[in-house]
Amino acid sequence: MPGRGKLIAVIGDEDTCTGFLLGGIGELNKNRKPNFLVVEKDTSITEIEETFKSFLARSDIGIILINQFIAEMIRHAIDAHMESIPAVLEIPSKEHPYDASKDSILRRAKGMFSAEDFR
Amino acid sequence: MTDMRVDQHNRLDEQLLLFMDQLEALEEKRHKLNSLIEEGWFSIAKARYSMGNKQVSVLQYASEMEPLVHVEASLLAGGTAEFKCERRENKTEEPKNNTIEDIGAKETGWRRINTKQKGVKEEEQDTDPQVKTKAESSTPEHRDPLKWFGILVPQNLKQAQSAFKEVITLSAEIASLQSAILATRKEMQMKEKQEKTEKTKPEIKEE
Repeated sequence: MPGRGKLIAVIGDEDTCTGFLLGGIGELNKNRKPNFLVVEKDTSITEIEETFKSFLARSDIGIILINQFIAEMIRHAIDAHMESIPAVLEIPSKEHPYDASKDSILRRAKGMFSAEDFR
Repeated sequence: MTDMRVDQHNRLDEQLLLFMDQLEALEEKRHKLNSLIEEGWFSIAKARYSMGNKQVSVLQYASEMEPLVHVEASLLAGGTAEFKCERRENKTEEPKNNTIEDIGAKETGWRRINTKQKGVKEEEQDTDPQVKTKAESSTPEHRDPLKWFGILVPQNLKQAQSAFKEVITLSAEIASLQSAILATRKEMQMKEKQEKTEKTKPEIKEE
């Protein structure tokens, strides 16, 4: 909708999604497509990747929040995303604490201090 | 020539300091975000314990949802994206409550003046707008997600909600910071490359 801000999307485990939906980010659009994906044990990686790519393609999404352990499963897709909007934010999950060394953005930022830069 | 170089070096130093500051701010915000999310999970777990295992799950999500939070994304110069969080608070509820109160006050006034039969008629007329306001407030548009889980939800779930609300605003700040960091890094790399090419040029000439 013109003149309205963008949405925040979530890909995460049940509690992460529940929490963020409680915070009021949830949306079901006219086609009944949600802006979140609850990843359970039987959710396939292709499903996660497809949802992530569909979120990237949607123009009404501004930020994508994703649990870091799920981001690890589709790391190539996250690394391939270079645009600044939508922004991808990796967040911790209950079983997996946040590890800055795995974060795509921080790895990109760190890249400038690699050995190659000092040659 | 040397002045130019000193100037360039200074600018590079400034950029590096800015970059370091941004990274430090990011780490601080990240730390805060992580602890807030953790707090939220604890509250959800406590609520689940008091409500029952299946009472706080995907099954309770409403069939219709309207977002209460939006982010205003704007592209700044240099490819930096800035995100501002905008929350649509339940502002609409306040005037509705006022109208209901007004109707109540008028009713008592009418009852005192009119006879019994008239009073009954007025009551009927007055109840209509009340019903309407109730119907409006129950539309999915301004529904608090807390109500998906019941009317009388434990305090813990409310705490979880406020924690995650904070997480959402913080995540918008982090997203802008991340974008700024990447832009600074790109700029620094460009400048470094420029400097390298300038350094190599005179060497070639000397040879």
